[in-house]
Amino acid sequence: MTDLLSTFTSLSEKELVALDKACGWSLNAAELAEVQRQFRKMGRQPSRGELETLAQTWSEHCKHKTFSGPVSFKSGGKVKKYKNLFKETIVKATKTLNRKWCLSVFTDNAGIVEFGKSGKWGLAFKAETHNHPCAVEPYGGAETGVGGVVRDILGVGLGAKPVLNTDNFCFGYLDSKKKLPKNSHPPERIMRGVVEGVRDYGNRMGIPTASGGIYFDDGYLLNPLVYVGCAGLIPVDKIGKKVIPGDLIVSIGGRTGRDGIHGATFSSANIDEDTSASAVQIGHAVNEKKTLDVLMRARDLGLYSAVTDCGAGGFSSAIGELGSETGAHVRLENAQLKDTHIEPWEIWVSESQERMILSVPKAKLRKLEAILKAESCEYCVLGTFSGDGSLLVTYGGEKIVDLPMAFLHGGVPNFEKPAVRRNVKISGGNPAKPAKSYGGLLKDVLSHPNVCSRHSVINQYDHEVQGGTVIKPLQGKYGDGPGDAAVIWPQSATLDLNDFSGFAVTHGFNPAAGRIDPYQMALHSVDEAVRNLLCVGAEISRTAILDNFCAASPRDPEVMGDLVLAAEGCHDAAMAYGAPFISGKDSFYNQAKDADGKEYPVPISLLISATAPVEDIRGAITMNYKEAGNPVYLAGVSRRGMGGSVYNDMADSGNNLISPLDMKAAVQLYTAVLKTIKSGCVCAAHDVSQGGLAVTLSEMAFSGGFGADIDLAGAAREEGLSALELLFGESPARLVLEVVKGKEAEFLKLVKGLPVNEIGYVKEDRALEVKDGWSRLFAEDILTLKKSWKRDLI
Amino acid sequence: MIIEIWTKEKYARNEEAAFIARLAHAGLKVKAARLSRLYKVDADFSKEEFEKIASELLTDNITEHYSLSPGKAGLKDAYRAEVWLKDSVTDVVGESVKEAVADVAGKLPEAVRFGHAYYVPCDSEQKLKHAVTKTLVNEIVNKFKIEKC
Repeated sequence: MTDLLSTFTSLSEKELVALDKACGWSLNAAELAEVQRQFRKMGRQPSRGELETLAQTWSEHCKHKTFSGPVSFKSGGKVKKYKNLFKETIVKATKTLNRKWCLSVFTDNAGIVEFGKSGKWGLAFKAETHNHPCAVEPYGGAETGVGGVVRDILGVGLGAKPVLNTDNFCFGYLDSKKKLPKNSHPPERIMRGVVEGVRDYGNRMGIPTASGGIYFDDGYLLNPLVYVGCAGLIPVDKIGKKVIPGDLIVSIGGRTGRDGIHGATFSSANIDEDTSASAVQIGHAVNEKKTLDVLMRARDLGLYSAVTDCGAGGFSSAIGELGSETGAHVRLENAQLKDTHIEPWEIWVSESQERMILSVPKAKLRKLEAILKAESCEYCVLGTFSGDGSLLVTYGGEKIVDLPMAFLHGGVPNFEKPAVRRNVKISGGNPAKPAKSYGGLLKDVLSHPNVCSRHSVINQYDHEVQGGTVIKPLQGKYGDGPGDAAVIWPQSATLDLNDFSGFAVTHGFNPAAGRIDPYQMALHSVDEAVRNLLCVGAEISRTAILDNFCAASPRDPEVMGDLVLAAEGCHDAAMAYGAPFISGKDSFYNQAKDADGKEYPVPISLLISATAPVEDIRGAITMNYKEAGNPVYLAGVSRRGMGGSVYNDMADSGNNLISPLDMKAAVQLYTAVLKTIKSGCVCAAHDVSQGGLAVTLSEMAFSGGFGADIDLAGAAREEGLSALELLFGESPARLVLEVVKGKEAEFLKLVKGLPVNEIGYVKEDRALEVKDGWSRLFAEDILTLKKSWKRDLI
Repeated sequence: MIIEIWTKEKYARNEEAAFIARLAHAGLKVKAARLSRLYKVDADFSKEEFEKIASELLTDNITEHYSLSPGKAGLKDAYRAEVWLKDSVTDVVGESVKEAVADVAGKLPEAVRFGHAYYVPCDSEQKLKHAVTKTLVNEIVNKFKIEKC
């Protein structure tokens, strides 16, 4: 290795690739050649530390080369070129919408939007993935995923106070019979570890985990997806930050060890049997809580001028980013270490957790030290932000890194990636007649892993800590109904008990649709998220969204094609719903080989996380039926297509059409429905999504402890819709509303001219009876339905 | 010194049932099992000091009891699986307990490591080993040993 480093500038392409593999950098041939060219130009050989720094900084994880690079997309005979796919889709929508309530977008560790009536607060929101670490060590991977996204919130602006954690997971089916490779974990094991990791970190830090979802598909058998998010409150006058030349570089929180070496570059590679265990990270929630407490006190006293978190790439990435304009001189011998047997370059790139980097004016160090000592939070002064524009890292007298910042951050070569539209055969004919009764099918769908209760996971999380979870993840008369969105009243951060402003958080996710039509998947996911916000009474005209893309190897043009279509869908949906993207992340190379050498790529998976203000949390509503005698309405048009449905996963109907979404009609409908909720006409709302209308009606009934008599004859529908599609189809832009008896006239006035139709009423009798005109579809006891639904997943 | 903490039998039914279900999922069907938590405290303390740490710090005396002589579960024909984090892996619980021990004993131990013990009556060590590696241990971060009680 040392020999190869000492002759780096004269190595052949083959030798460079071999060196890259041996060191675990995950740089491609073009990038290696560029590094070689630069060092030839400098007239010297690189040090290990310099190559490690470049590998970290240029990694997919840190630079997002795929999404922000040029793409040539071929669809049929047409070719569309993108110079920067991310900027020309996601960012473009946000820029065009130009919402004045967006305070910080795409420039910091999280997006920030205005919050509350006082004008003093911003709401920071971010979601991350931690997929590869969770595949290797589920508990540690999930813990550090949560820790990382919480640090993003601590590191946005001058630091926000976390008030909510979110979690969304994708696993292989727990009863999958597929043979796994020797070193992989079965999905049940991965799920248990991931849930425990999220639980322990959130609970120990005192942050409620109150919004999320779990999705099963054998595409995630070897590559679980673990999306974790965090929302926090920040004073608007603390959003700006600027490193001042001469400021000290202060690291606070955890010590540096050998854990997590190469996490950033590991995320840029496919997982195989040789995957390095050193990429495993270990979390320490109590250390992060100390860091949080220090930051909040020091921020309010103005003791630092900038902050960021040590995430992927460790000091290398955090100090490199903070000092990108000023330069930095780092003395690694000052670092607090867990382990004395550690090489200087390892200190530089280690991803040991719970560390934050502050830019501290020299005159303020003593006051900061007093707070650090009072909170028992470890720290070290690593050097200074120099002002000379270069990155100089030393250990004792030894030079570890000496690179110009311009090369480090601007030198990565970006090459055009080919993308093609996947060829999927669409069948839009009549679905096959089911083999079972509709009642029997409903029970099967309710017990499907993608529909059934998540109580065995949710109940492990402390979703009440901080005392602000107004609408909880489990709702209804018995506290176990599946909520659409969480509503948070962040009084623990604002300390204002007279302001009842809150915010709702939810998600949209539909990879099954993505397998067939990635463009419609993106539209459906945004629509689902907006509809979920609407169901709790949030102000959907102020929806802000996050995109988190996960995909297989971008070297496959079809994977890139999926990405292009989904990104275009994101753009169009954001524009139609007036909902800007404020932050996002992507994760690629989520694919692995099974024991027989078969590739398991994940399907294109887009998580849309959404938040919107709730003007008065006392007016937020839940999804369960409230009172016998109240009329039930279906809002929206039921359309043809069983594509991407849970039913199709159980018994292929022969129809795989994804119902196209009419976004203009959806926005018009939702705007009117929100008025009915705000006026107090609606006491329960629930979206029609996974499982279809029959599932929505069942969940509202058994969560409220009421039955319902439903006649779908009046429901707006596309011509030729079969009963199967009506009950189990998952066409978007529909929700079921329970209207307060006596307020029907006002309700109908507000939705006049829209596809909102009465379909029945709530009743005391615990039976859910559903017919379609003269045709009786099913009649089931709600307790029987609930029994099918309420499974223990773990 | 290894301090072993047990949930009292009358309160342990839920955790034992969940553990038995996990073993069954990994292909090992058993009717009974017992679990305990282990704290390996590296310190030059007297027996009385270890007793104090065990009873005042590590044990909830209402629902739990402790032992300074690990390995006695009272199950017939049982094997004992002891699971620890590898020495190279940061032990967060161990670190926190180390600080707490210093507060209680007035002296900082050299190290504290946290682990678990599982007592399983079964006819084959091999079957147990298979189940343990399938469900309890990730050999990337854990080390374990199985022995006859």
